[in-house]
Amino acid sequence: MHAASEAILIVEQLQVSYRSKEQARPILHGLNLTLHQGETVCLLGESGSGKSTLAKAITGLLPPSAQVGSGSLALAGGIAVDLADDNGSGSIPWQRIRGTELALLFQDARQALNPVMTIGQHFKETLLDHRKAKPDEVESISCRLLRKLGFTDPLVLLSSYPFQLSGGMCQRICLAIALCLEPKVLIADEPTSALDTVSQREVLSLIRAMQLDLGLTVLLITHDLAVARAVSDRVIVLDQGRLVEQGSVQRVFSQPKALFTRQLLAYRSQVSAPAKLRSTRKSSACLLEVRRLHKSYDANQPIVRDASLTLDEQEIVGVLGQSGCGKSTLARCIAGLETPNAGSILLRGTDISGLQGKARREICRRIQMVFQDARASLHPGRTAQQLVQEPLQYLRIGNKQERIALASHYLQEVGIEGEAQYRKPPQLSTGQCQRIAIARALVLKPEVLICDEAVSALDVRIQAQILKLLKRLHKQYRFSILMISHDVSVLRSFCHHIAVMSDGRFQEGKQASVRLHESSQPHTQLLLRCAGDLEEVRI
Amino acid sequence: MHSTRRSVSLIAGTVLLGLLAVLIAGAHWISPYDPVQQHAAERLEKPSAQHPFGTDRFGRDLLARTLHGGQITLLSAMAALSGALAIGLAVGLAAGMFHNSLLDRLFMRMIDVLLAFPFMVLAMVVAALFGTSLFHLLLAVIAVGWVTFARLARSVVLQARNETSFAAARVLGASNRTLILRELAPKALSPVLILATFELGSLILSIAALSFLGLGAQPPTPEWGSMLADGREYVLQSPHIMFGPALFIMLSVLAFNLIGEGLRDRLDPYEKPQL
Repeated sequence: MHAASEAILIVEQLQVSYRSKEQARPILHGLNLTLHQGETVCLLGESGSGKSTLAKAITGLLPPSAQVGSGSLALAGGIAVDLADDNGSGSIPWQRIRGTELALLFQDARQALNPVMTIGQHFKETLLDHRKAKPDEVESISCRLLRKLGFTDPLVLLSSYPFQLSGGMCQRICLAIALCLEPKVLIADEPTSALDTVSQREVLSLIRAMQLDLGLTVLLITHDLAVARAVSDRVIVLDQGRLVEQGSVQRVFSQPKALFTRQLLAYRSQVSAPAKLRSTRKSSACLLEVRRLHKSYDANQPIVRDASLTLDEQEIVGVLGQSGCGKSTLARCIAGLETPNAGSILLRGTDISGLQGKARREICRRIQMVFQDARASLHPGRTAQQLVQEPLQYLRIGNKQERIALASHYLQEVGIEGEAQYRKPPQLSTGQCQRIAIARALVLKPEVLICDEAVSALDVRIQAQILKLLKRLHKQYRFSILMISHDVSVLRSFCHHIAVMSDGRFQEGKQASVRLHESSQPHTQLLLRCAGDLEEVRI
Repeated sequence: MHSTRRSVSLIAGTVLLGLLAVLIAGAHWISPYDPVQQHAAERLEKPSAQHPFGTDRFGRDLLARTLHGGQITLLSAMAALSGALAIGLAVGLAAGMFHNSLLDRLFMRMIDVLLAFPFMVLAMVVAALFGTSLFHLLLAVIAVGWVTFARLARSVVLQARNETSFAAARVLGASNRTLILRELAPKALSPVLILATFELGSLILSIAALSFLGLGAQPPTPEWGSMLADGREYVLQSPHIMFGPALFIMLSVLAFNLIGEGLRDRLDPYEKPQL
């Protein structure tokens, strides 16, 4: 579609490796990349495939441990640099390239903004440093841009600080700041991965709209197939530092050539396949009941209000909601990490809310939780074996031999075998860490397992594997699962019932996941629409 | 990736401290003189082969006094530090673990008051109340010294409490004691130890300063601070009297600061290079 337009950015033979203790670990193996005027190119790959390294290499933001073996960068307007010069010598005039030629959008927008500066000061700094405006023009330029990006009250925004704004708003503001210098190319590194589906859609449609409006060239880096499909013209698939496939978005998604692309697509359809779970369970007794739960840290801003939910024996219930809707707080209340202000949590009819000391620890045997960031939940200095033994030690279950035997058994169940049981988290992959976390939760033989976004941070491939594992364990050990997620497709493929949470409450009770789309609730409809192929972004 | 450059200060500090320790511990063998024995005939002698650091106004050998004084100064600094460290860690961990409880608030206000109090004045009050002795001096130093450790430990604990691993340990059934000892204490320990090495240097200085003012070790006990005070009167005619203790104070503070810096490079999570 843009075949005839001129090349605006050419990267040739880019080789980057990271030096660690002993050896250099190659990340990119001689990558070539060409962007044409006005197109959106999506760089698709799993974590560790080198896609962020590429973005950092062409903007001169590589960490000191990175070594550029070779590579050249040519931009429209005759700028050409040898990236191999970037190894600490500082001979490349990045100040002239970054911002005005190439603009960057980061994953975590709130961290990209300076917390002690107002949004207005960000604009001022950017515009004045690059001499793009006189001091008295700054306000009008930034207001114009913010209005263009859909903010109705830009003046109020200019005097607010990043922490006062939501993640989605921060990302839109970062986009506005990036655009105020009128860059030729916008490089967006996972710009929506940290956002929930609704904000994700907002940001993506804005990027798309700005691209059409200003004739911007966009390099979008993502691991999310749906995002790639929704906004890009051309897709480049990266696997372990090598370009395995590129082509128009229609071609890559309908007739993938490379084996790796075919696998990626297969995993995605596996994850989002509609549930084939039999929900005709005999005599399902109510196991856990949350009754009119209320939790707030600040009286004016309740996080969970009046939330009620039931979980039957052996049932898998999904809690769906945007970030900030209170679903994680609900999970933490059930797990005993928070004390609710009002309401009750009944486990087989006994109230367990707000227990302390010994009573709370007894409940730990029956309710367990797996966290989003598995790596952070595991102590980096302990081996897998030790980590799984931890709850047994805490609750004084068994003697030493029995603990080792139990831990080995459950580690085998989750697929951590042999020598890997004696490795520590830093030597294990993220997927393996999540497996250990699951084994550690199940070793207590709980009745309820809470999964708080347990697969959200994982690559599609690992996500499919973990979900499959959870399904198998659920069948075998017959516990109930409360699955908290913002991802409709994951929940639909995994849960018997789904309850939609917004603003701290459930608008209606849980409903069969196959019938979720029949819901009349506007919020449920919004979530479903946003999660649906994201196709509508492509206007 | 701990390159050799990074641990240079750690090695240098340890070697220097080891050297000082050997000198001070072997005072008897290095200098045959008794540190308190007076020799009227050899008053205020300049450094010579017989008395490498010279003698003071009572004819006592200054090398012997400096080395023996080191035993007192360094040991008392270590004792004061251990006391302050133990109290500070305990208070900091407890206050952080039970954040916003009555206990926490009580400790924090106490710390505020102590921080607002001039240290020297407090030491003088203690001396005035209980009499001047090295033991009372140490009590005064500990009474003020624990505050910084408690503050640091508490802030580390408050941060660690928000981490996923802490929540995970709680869900897995860890008791408060286990949480403090297994999850929080190890995290608080490394920054507190690093601070301690820096504090030890300033503790040596404040013990010396208080002894200089006459509040610590009493004559004829050799102690670096009081030796400096002795030498002050003769600084114009016999400046060598102050040389020994001054040199050793400087070297030991330097050694501990080097160790502290080296430890910080090794232990500080924020200074670790990215992969």
